[in-house]
Amino acid sequence: MNTSWRGALALLVIPAMVLLIGQFLPTYPLRILDTILLYAILGMGLNIVVGYAGLLDLGYVAFYAIGAYAWALLASGQFGIHLPFWLVLIIGSGIAGFAGILLGIPVLRLRGDYLAIVTLGFGEIIRVLMNNLDGLTNGPQGISRIDAAHIFGFTLETPYDFLWLLVPLMMVVFLFVWRIQASALGTALSAVREDQDAARGCGIDTTRVKLVAFCTSAMIGGAGGVIFAAMQRFVSPESFTFWESLIIVLVIVVGGLGNPFGALLGATLLILIPEMLRAYADYRLLLYGIALVIIILARPHGLISRRYGPSWLMRKCAGGRGGDNAAV
Amino acid sequence: MHLKGLLYAAVAVTAISGIPLTGAARADILIGTAGPTTNAEALFGTTWQNGMELAVRQANAAGGVDGQKLVLERDDDGGDPKQGTLIAQKHCDNAGMLAVVANFNSGVTIPSSDVYNRCGMPQVTNASNPKVTKAGYKNLFRPIANDLSQGAAPAEYALAKLGAKKAAVVHDKQAFGQGVAEVFRDNFTKGGGTVTSFSGIAQTDVDFSALLSSIRAENPDVIYFGGVMPAVGLFVKQARELGIKATFFAADSAFTPDFIAGAGPASEGTVVSFQAPPYDSSPALQKFATDYKAAFGEEPGPYSAYGYVEASIIIEAMKKAPTPLTRAGIAAEIAKSDFDGLVGHVAFTPEGELKKPFLFLYAVTGGKFVLVK
Amino acid sequence: MGALILQQTINALTVGSIYALIALGYTMVYGVLRLINFAHSELFTAGAFIGLALSGALGVAGHPMGGILVGLITFVVIGLAGVSVEIVAYRPLRRTSRLAPMLSALGMAVVIQNAVMLIGGRRPLIYPSFLPSGVIELFGAIVSYKQITIFAVAVVLMIGLELFVNRTNLGVRIRAVAENAETASLVGINPNTAISLIFFIGPGLGAVAGVLYSSFYGVATFTMGFVIGMKAFTAAILGGIGSIPGAVLGGFLLGIIETFATAWMPVLTGGLIGTEYRDIFAFSVLVLILLFRPAGLLGEHISEETMVYKSDF
Repeated sequence: MNTSWRGALALLVIPAMVLLIGQFLPTYPLRILDTILLYAILGMGLNIVVGYAGLLDLGYVAFYAIGAYAWALLASGQFGIHLPFWLVLIIGSGIAGFAGILLGIPVLRLRGDYLAIVTLGFGEIIRVLMNNLDGLTNGPQGISRIDAAHIFGFTLETPYDFLWLLVPLMMVVFLFVWRIQASALGTALSAVREDQDAARGCGIDTTRVKLVAFCTSAMIGGAGGVIFAAMQRFVSPESFTFWESLIIVLVIVVGGLGNPFGALLGATLLILIPEMLRAYADYRLLLYGIALVIIILARPHGLISRRYGPSWLMRKCAGGRGGDNAAV
Repeated sequence: MHLKGLLYAAVAVTAISGIPLTGAARADILIGTAGPTTNAEALFGTTWQNGMELAVRQANAAGGVDGQKLVLERDDDGGDPKQGTLIAQKHCDNAGMLAVVANFNSGVTIPSSDVYNRCGMPQVTNASNPKVTKAGYKNLFRPIANDLSQGAAPAEYALAKLGAKKAAVVHDKQAFGQGVAEVFRDNFTKGGGTVTSFSGIAQTDVDFSALLSSIRAENPDVIYFGGVMPAVGLFVKQARELGIKATFFAADSAFTPDFIAGAGPASEGTVVSFQAPPYDSSPALQKFATDYKAAFGEEPGPYSAYGYVEASIIIEAMKKAPTPLTRAGIAAEIAKSDFDGLVGHVAFTPEGELKKPFLFLYAVTGGKFVLVK
Repeated sequence: MGALILQQTINALTVGSIYALIALGYTMVYGVLRLINFAHSELFTAGAFIGLALSGALGVAGHPMGGILVGLITFVVIGLAGVSVEIVAYRPLRRTSRLAPMLSALGMAVVIQNAVMLIGGRRPLIYPSFLPSGVIELFGAIVSYKQITIFAVAVVLMIGLELFVNRTNLGVRIRAVAENAETASLVGINPNTAISLIFFIGPGLGAVAGVLYSSFYGVATFTMGFVIGMKAFTAAILGGIGSIPGAVLGGFLLGIIETFATAWMPVLTGGLIGTEYRDIFAFSVLVLILLFRPAGLLGEHISEETMVYKSDF
C-alpha cells in the first residue's frame, strides 16, 4: 500500500514539475525536450522487442512512418479527410500493430541477425513504397499543410502545447511497458531472450509471445509517428531513413537495454549531444561519433543497468532494501 | 572497470560541455542559415552558404548596416526536416537574429517555414518546389525560379530548337528531381513530343548501365535527367560509353566545372538550365567569381550565386528598414525589394515568388558552358 | 533482344563483382566475431581516397601497372587501419553483449566518414582510371576493357582468398578461431592474432574494391560507402553470412537481381512497376530466400528446432 502510494505520487509529481518548468523555458529547449520525449517513447516501444525479447529489429522506423502517414492522410487536405486526433492515434497505432504482425509471422523463425536484416529490408521497403506511391503519399514531395491536432478543445501548435501531450503519453507508455515487463508476458519474453529452447521446454508458446511483442512494440512506434506528423505538420520519406532506425536502437543500447529509464536517458543524450555540438560546425558529427564510441566503450551494457528499472525504484521509494540483487 | 568508466565519462562530459558561446558580440546583427553540409548534398550546402558568407563579408567591408557588423550563423540541417525545425526554433529564440536564408531543400523548408512564420522571421529560401510558397506566409520569399519554369524551358527548347520528337526522362525520386522531370515530361508531351520512358532511380546510384541499355533500345532524340551531381555526370558519361547519341538535358546542379571534368568529353553538347547569366557576361558576375575564388580558394559551386543573392536581398532590406531593426520591418522591406541583383532583377509577388523568374539555358561547348538561350 | 540480354548480363556481372568484393569483408568479420561491421563501408571509401592521394603522389594516374602498386599500398594502409579500429573499438567489447560492438562500429563509421570529409573535402573528386580503356563488341553488346578487368580482378582476389583460408597454415588458424575461439586457444592458437589478420584482410579487400569502384566510375565522394556498403551487406546475407563462396554468390546474385529489376520489370509489367521499385524487388527476393533458406544460400543450414540460440543481447 505504502509502496504504490509513494510510487504513484512520484509518477505524478515529476511530470507535473516538467510541465510547470516548461512554461518558463524558451521554445528551442522546449522543442528539444519534445524531441527527446518522442524518442524516449519510441525507445520504450522498441525495447519490448530488442530489450525484453532479445530480437534485433533494425526496421523500427517503418512503424513510425506508418503512424506518421496515418495522420498525414487522415487529417489533411490530401484526400479532404479531417479525423480527430485521438481517432487517428488509435487507427495509426492499429495499422502499425497490424503491420508488426504481418512482418512478424514470416520472420520470427529466423535467427538473430537474419531477423535483423529482414527487418532492415522491411524498413527500406516501407520507405521506398512511401516514396513511390505518388497517388497516395505524394511521393518525394511529401504531404504538407497537415491539420494541427485538437485535443479537448485545445489546438496543439507550439512546442509547449506538445509537452502537454507528450509528457502524459510518455507516462502511459512507461506504465504500459513496465507492466508488460512485470507480467507473465514479460517473464515469457525474458525466457525467450535468455534461452529459447528452454523457454519452449517450459511450455511457453515462443512464436505467440514474440508476435505479441512485435505487435505491441509496433503500436507504440505507430503512435510516435502520429505525434511526429502532428508536430511537424509535414511528412516526407526523408524523415524515415535507415539512420532513424539506428538512432532508436542507439537510444536504448546507450541508455540501457530493457529499462524504460534507460530509454529516457539514451534519448536525452542522443538528441542533446548533437544539438550541443552545433557550435563546432564541421567537426560536429566527428565529435558525435567519437562521443558515441566512448560512451559505448565505457558502458557496454548501457548507462543504466536493466536491474535498476521502475520496479527497483518502487522498492527504493518504499524504503525497501536489497534492490540490487532482485531480479526483474 | 568503474574507474575506467568514470574516466571515459569525464572525457565525454568535457568534450560536450566545453562549447564556446556563439562568436557574435551583442551589437552584431545576426543572419541565420541552415542547409545540408554533411550529407550527400554537402558540397551544395557548403558552397551555397559560402555565397552568403561572401555577401556578408562584402557588406561588412563596406561599413555594415547602420554601422553595425553582420554575422552569418551557419547551421547544418543534414537535409532532415526534424533538424530543420529544431534549428528554426533556435534561430527564432535568438533575439539578435533578424533574418534567415533557409533552407536548401524543399522538404526541410516546408516544416521549418511554419516555425519561422510563428516568430515573424524574414525567411529567404532556396527551395524550388512550387508547394513551398503555398502556405501564404508573408515572411517567406523565394528569389529563384520554381521547378515549373526549370522544367518547362528545356522542353520548349528541345522541341523548337532541336526538333526533337522522342524523349526519355529519368529522375532521382527526390522532390526536386522528380518535380522538374514531371514538368519536362508534361510540357514535352503537350508540345507534340513523345516520352518513350519515365524512369526513377535512386539518388545514390552510380551504375546506370542497366537503365541506359534499355533507353538505348528506345532510341530517343533527347534524354532529360532530373537529378543532381555527381549522378548526372556519371549518367552522361556512361550513356556515351554505351554509344547513346541523344542530346542530354540537366538541371542547375550540373552547372559546375565538376560536371564537365567528371563526364569528360561525354559532357559535350549537354544542355543545362541555370538561373544566372554566364559568369563572364557582366562585370558584377565576373567580380563575384573572382572574389569567391579569392575568399574560398575554389570555383563557385552550383548554388553559390543564389546564396549570394539571397543574402544580398536581406542586407539590402536591412539598409532600408527603419531603425532599430526588427524582423517585421525587414520582412516588409524585403517584400518591397526592387533592385538589380547579381543575376537579375529582384522583385516579389504578394505570394513571395519572383515577379519575373529568370532562367538561362547553356550547352557545353568545347569544355565550357555557352549560353544558348 | 539477345544482344540486350547479353548486355544486361555483362552489366550485372560488373556491379556484382564490386558487391562481392565488399561483401567478403563483412562475411569474414561476421564469421569469426558475429559482428556487423558498419565501419567496413567507410573503410572502403577511405581506401578510394587514399588510392587517389597515392596516384597523385606517385604520379601513376592512368597506368594499369601503377594501379597494381596503388592497390597494394592501399590494401596495406587500410588493412592496418582496420586492425587498429578492431583493437580500439571492438576488442574491449568482445565479452560484453552483441549489440555493443555493433553500435561501436556504427560510431566508428560516423567518425571515419567525417574524417574523410574533413580531409578529402566535400567535392566529388575526379578519379584517374587505372583500368585499360577501350571497348569490344560482342554479339551486338558493348563490353569495355574496364568491365573485363573489374571482373577478372575480383575473381582472382576471391579465388586467392578462398585458397588462403583453406590451404594455408594461417587460414586454418582463422577457421579454427571462427569455429570456436576457446577450443582454438586450447591448441595454442592466439585468437587475437587470427582476428587481427581478419581485420587486415577484410578492410584491405574493401579498400581495393574502393579503388576499383572509383576507378571504374571515375568519381569518389565521401558519402559513397554507406549505400553500397548496405547492399554488399545484403549480398553477404543473401549468400549466407560467414561463408566466403556465399558472399561471392550473393554479390553476383544481387547484381543480377538489380539489373533484372531495372531492365525488365517495367517491360514485363507494362510500365506498372517502374525502375524505382528496384530496391523493393531486391529486398523482397532477399526475404523470400531467407524464408526458405533461413541461413542464406550457402550458409550452414540450421533449423530453428536444433539451433543454438542463447542470450544474444
